[in-house]
Amino acid sequence: MNTLVLLLILFFGGGLITYFAYKISKIIGDILIALIGLTGAYLFFQIDIHSLVSIKLAGLRLGLGFNGFSWIFGLLVAILSPLALIYSIPYMKGRERLEWFYMLFLFVIGAMFGILMARDWVSLFVFWEIMTWSSYLIVIYSRGKGLDKVGLKYIFFSAVGAYSLLTAIVLIGATIKSLYIGDLINFFGVLSLKNQLLIGILLIIGFGVKAAVMPLHVWAPDAYSSAPMSFTSLFSGAMSKMGIYGLILVVINMYLNHGISSVGHWLAWFGAITAVMGTFYAIIQDDAKKLLAWSSVAQLGYIVTGIGVGTKLAVFAAIFLALLHGAFKGTLFMAVGAVERQAGTTKFSELRALIRKMPYTFISTLIAVIALAGIPPIAGFIGKWMLYESLITDGHVWLVVLLFLASTAGFLYSYRILFGLFLGQEEDDYKDVKEAPVLMTIPMLLMALFLVVAGTLPGFVFKPIAQSMEALGFADITYQMSILTNSWGDMVDMTYVAMALGVTFVVFLIVITLVNRRGTRYVTTKDIHTAGEPPSEDDNYHFALDFFKPFERAIAPVFKYSMTRIYNVIGRGVEDFFQFVRRFYTGNAQTYALYVVIFFAILLLLAKQIF
Amino acid sequence: MTFWQTLGAVLLTILIAFISGLFYMGIRRKVIARIQNRYGPPLHQNFLDVMKLWSKESNIHHGIMQHLAPLWMIAMGVSTLLFIPIVYNSTFWANFTFKGDLILLLYLMVFGSLGFALGAGQTGNPNSAIGVTRGLSQMVGFEIPWVMALIAVMIQYKTTSLTDLVAWQQQHHTWIAFQQPFAFLAALLVIPAMFRYSPYDIVIAPSELASGPPSEFGGKYMGLMMSSGSIFMFAKLALIVDIFLGGATSWLWMIIKTLSLYMIPVLWSAINPRYRTEQAIWSLWRWPLIFAVLGLIIASV
Repeated sequence: MNTLVLLLILFFGGGLITYFAYKISKIIGDILIALIGLTGAYLFFQIDIHSLVSIKLAGLRLGLGFNGFSWIFGLLVAILSPLALIYSIPYMKGRERLEWFYMLFLFVIGAMFGILMARDWVSLFVFWEIMTWSSYLIVIYSRGKGLDKVGLKYIFFSAVGAYSLLTAIVLIGATIKSLYIGDLINFFGVLSLKNQLLIGILLIIGFGVKAAVMPLHVWAPDAYSSAPMSFTSLFSGAMSKMGIYGLILVVINMYLNHGISSVGHWLAWFGAITAVMGTFYAIIQDDAKKLLAWSSVAQLGYIVTGIGVGTKLAVFAAIFLALLHGAFKGTLFMAVGAVERQAGTTKFSELRALIRKMPYTFISTLIAVIALAGIPPIAGFIGKWMLYESLITDGHVWLVVLLFLASTAGFLYSYRILFGLFLGQEEDDYKDVKEAPVLMTIPMLLMALFLVVAGTLPGFVFKPIAQSMEALGFADITYQMSILTNSWGDMVDMTYVAMALGVTFVVFLIVITLVNRRGTRYVTTKDIHTAGEPPSEDDNYHFALDFFKPFERAIAPVFKYSMTRIYNVIGRGVEDFFQFVRRFYTGNAQTYALYVVIFFAILLLLAKQIF
Repeated sequence: MTFWQTLGAVLLTILIAFISGLFYMGIRRKVIARIQNRYGPPLHQNFLDVMKLWSKESNIHHGIMQHLAPLWMIAMGVSTLLFIPIVYNSTFWANFTFKGDLILLLYLMVFGSLGFALGAGQTGNPNSAIGVTRGLSQMVGFEIPWVMALIAVMIQYKTTSLTDLVAWQQQHHTWIAFQQPFAFLAALLVIPAMFRYSPYDIVIAPSELASGPPSEFGGKYMGLMMSSGSIFMFAKLALIVDIFLGGATSWLWMIIKTLSLYMIPVLWSAINPRYRTEQAIWSLWRWPLIFAVLGLIIASV
């Protein structure tokens, strides 16, 4: 059987089998999902990139098969999903309805592969809906307070996206008489401008919902933070990239390759504003999950900006950032999940100083946060560098300023998450917290290791990206193992950066550890300088509330405008309108009779004009 | 250039930057003392301070991140210095200047402060954490006009490389400060905030936060921080000299230019009280931002 079909059968069939396996025994189920995840990754690497399964159905050509471009996103799913599944085993232990959760989990993974394989709009839409509905059911899986509202918001926006996708697909079928994605890309140039804009923008809305582009991002922060963290690492890490995949398809393959760049430039502005607003909202959160969720929205904004700008380096940076975002946001959601499981909460105002209790979680969080903040020599910097250079060399100066604002403000929440969870004054309440189980720390550490290696030797990641870029229609993609260059010929050699930082660090580490080793000692975090007022045993001087209050005050005007509020105003307006309409239905037969009479009177009066 | 020559140049650069940085700080103490009608400590007082700190008998730390905290600072100071051209057209003093560009430097320059912030956070002292949040907020304030000024320069000269900028200025016998006056003004106005001198000393704020983030650091940790601080200070000054003031053809010119530039934040800080955090941000988003926007508009049309 073809590997493509086998991969889909593995996840959809495996999902069903898992359902019954968990009914029989939890241990069998646990082993089964780990096996399915790993087999999926194995099968993915066996896939021949040129293999294609196609059938004719009611006169329409349908097909499944990867191409160079979708393969790179498949790579992300294939690597992230087994890690998330393995992490999930200890994380979800003891929760009820596991069979349900894991069945949906595997469906989501299978649907993601399906979307990337789909060569025609019908299969893409079917898998898209499977992914949406399965993830919706996982979001509301916990049955917590207020979760119905979160789920409603998610499914409402997904429905908006689905309807615009469907409308676009019907339009495509009507205009070019083919539902093959490749056909649309080839014939896009011949379409009338009206159809080009209509189809493209409907598709952008459809995909933009999953990529959480402003103003369609409203669902994302709540949905990301409400799902179990093992799923959110995949939800934010890989599933949001399906939206990015679709956006690249539309903006690059359809518009840019046929000479239309203005749509992309508009999208780039939306992306940059998303990045800034997402960052500002991340800063004011008190819950680590919420913070990461908003930060996901912001990070996807960068990627969307890169796609919208559409130059070679910008798209390269966008795909690179998309892969990296999967790795570091996956790690961060897993780390927060580990903290939640071990310490019982993710609120910054309750947690403190877990670094000595959970060292491995701390290390992976630290590396992921450095990647997120884009500080050299970890890989995040490379993506940021390429994005900025592409924008500067292409003259998009105001976009660069917005992105710089977002990433500098991003340092604030980066520090918040490290300080809030791991640093600060120790508290007796958390005295007995232990490190998370091995199965949870290993996936995190593996991804952190990847981020470190990719920071100095990004060529390993550049290679598949360059292939995918060629599949997208960009010519002459050159890359080097560790040297980054922009179109003006300026460059950064990451080995020198890593060497300068690393050698200095190690030399002085030896110096500072050896100098006066006898006189150096550890004291507790209660033993601090407090200007002559030593804290008593019960006092805790940890600083967690209103962490960035002065900054909030400085940017207060920005918070006056929020998309949620605008949607609420629209919603209330619509509600008022229908309340008004409802008054006509008095329930009195005589009033209705009067309406009929009035209607006929109007008809008679206007008869001349109408007939 | 053999490996040993490069290594020698690197070590000499670091040493000269370290010594001049400490002397600059000594001059600052002296200048401020004279303004306040005091006699002030001798110029070499900072050398004595560093030596004293390194030879302290007892050193305490609150955990591994605090132990590592000064190392991020020194790694940042040294690497930043190595990517900045000091002497124009010299193969011996080239260091790593052909291996990096301005965007790299922008990100390298926050590496240390963020690493140090983690160490300060681990101490458990609330003043440290408060200081860090203030510092990060202020950073958002000054990075925006600063980055805009740099982008204005970058797009006007179509390069992001510092060596190219220096070469252009040297070949045309002019300074970018005259070619891009608005960007230079914006950069000049954010220098006090970059150095965290009054009125932007909200991070250290001795009378409110008991010197904030470094308050739990003593002994060798403080000694290493002072050393890295002097190197980093010299690197920052050299960066601005390279971008706006034409770079330098010899070490002597570099020292003259950096020292004169350094006097601006020093003299400005001597006569200023302290802002609150949001005031600091707003002040940076007023005139510096206006000048930066003007510079950017001029450069991009």
